[in-house]
Amino acid sequence: MAAAGGLRRAGWRLWRARRAVVRCQQYPPLRALQASAALRAASDEHKKEPWASSSQQHFESPPAGHQPEEKPQGPHPSYTGQGGQESEDYESEEQLQHRILTAALEFVPEHGWTAEAIAEGAKTLGLSVAAAGLFHSDGSELILHFVSDCNTKLTELLKKEQKLVQLGEAEKKPIDEFLRDAVEARLRMLIPYIEKWPQALSVLLLPRNIPSSLSLLTSMIDDIWHYAGDQSTDFNWYTRRAVLTAIYNTTELVMMQDSSPGFEDTWRFLENRVADAMAMSNTATQVQSTGEAVVQGLMGAAVTIKNLAGLNQRR
Amino acid sequence: MAAAVVPALRCSLLQRRPLRCGPGVRAVPGAGAALRPCSSRVAQDGINQPVIDRIIRVDHAGEYGANRIYAGQMAVLGRSSVGPVIQQMWNQEKKHLKKFNELMVAYRVRPTVLLPFWNVAGFVLGAGSALLGKKGAMACTVAVEESISEHYNNQIRTLIEEDPEKYKELLQVIKQFRDEEQEHHDIGLEHDAEATPAYSVLKTAIQLGCKAAIFLSERI
Repeated sequence: MAAAGGLRRAGWRLWRARRAVVRCQQYPPLRALQASAALRAASDEHKKEPWASSSQQHFESPPAGHQPEEKPQGPHPSYTGQGGQESEDYESEEQLQHRILTAALEFVPEHGWTAEAIAEGAKTLGLSVAAAGLFHSDGSELILHFVSDCNTKLTELLKKEQKLVQLGEAEKKPIDEFLRDAVEARLRMLIPYIEKWPQALSVLLLPRNIPSSLSLLTSMIDDIWHYAGDQSTDFNWYTRRAVLTAIYNTTELVMMQDSSPGFEDTWRFLENRVADAMAMSNTATQVQSTGEAVVQGLMGAAVTIKNLAGLNQRR
Repeated sequence: MAAAVVPALRCSLLQRRPLRCGPGVRAVPGAGAALRPCSSRVAQDGINQPVIDRIIRVDHAGEYGANRIYAGQMAVLGRSSVGPVIQQMWNQEKKHLKKFNELMVAYRVRPTVLLPFWNVAGFVLGAGSALLGKKGAMACTVAVEESISEHYNNQIRTLIEEDPEKYKELLQVIKQFRDEEQEHHDIGLEHDAEATPAYSVLKTAIQLGCKAAIFLSERI
């Protein structure tokens, strides 16, 4: 009887999950995910058999008493608050994917960015290995998840530093040092996975993944410049970001092939590139002011000639 | 991090924000993959970032272009009788541009890639219309300011439809600027803009150009 109740609940959840799918216009992988969520809920049911039987006995008790027993079993099947319930389901699936990928990261050094790592990760969460089927076999989602995670960590770090500067507890770094430190901090996050990172880079360059990987890269560079204090509103906005993207990408590639202790060759390379960029911008400014001075000189010469030739008459 | 994803997610479901996402990994309904990790940029206080992005980008481009148009007109007509009038309108445009520069930094909006192009095109339009005479310059002013006023009105409508309370400051700025552009339009008419030869052709051509500029600057 308890099993029947459990089956009914699982079925009800599957049905609601399919409604959520239709509503949100999702695609096959996510439907599989819904099914997996239901499967997981079903496996939860098995673990919580005693709860189910006691809930049957307390059937006549007021709903308030019923709810606390339902809650630990995941999203609880209430007939009210449809919108809220469905978005709760939506979130828990995302959170599930998120959790699987996070757990999978610790198996990456051993298995690479593959479905095996995801399967191992799923196992540690008590899920079936089939959960790896929710994701593409080339590990794209795992890599994108990792990159997104690193970017978030970098942003937090930069925000914290900014707060310290605002509170006066730290000195404001000069731009080249700031950029160097930010890029170094971000690249250091790759160190635990450095062996398998070239594989990840090639996956990120797959046409399917390019929109996501490009978006993550550009937003990371934008964040770094924002915290560096960039306030340009003209074409400089693009030049600066392009330059920093080039610095970041080349340094990352150098890091892949670096075998020096503590990656000191990489950090030296980074320092040189940032110095080059600063020098380039100084040169550009100099060229511009020289150009302006030359133009003014020419204008002065033209006016002088006009005066001498008597052509410059007041209108 | 999961706790931060939850409210941002609910927000996105209600607002259908397509590309700008909160921190971490989020599914984008209707996107090409089950999980589409987006930028780690934190959405500021639940404002509709894509809409605000477009608005500020195109307005900034517009004021920048208007600046250059007046610069072109001054280069040709600076020492004529309408010089002071154009100079005064130019000063107001400079103030507008300054305000949009501030807003751009505050909302972290990307400027349009076409800025160098609007730089040149604006100057050429201003100088070209001024070479047609004082009335030509005024006709150009009337055409551009009418375009811009209509455009600002559209934006005000959009923002009011979204949420007048959340965008109060921005709405105020845009309303004030729209009123000032309308003033410029009226000044242009006062100075015999309509007496320009081929006024309607000139006006239509310029307004078509403005529409194209607005379309491109919003997107690129």
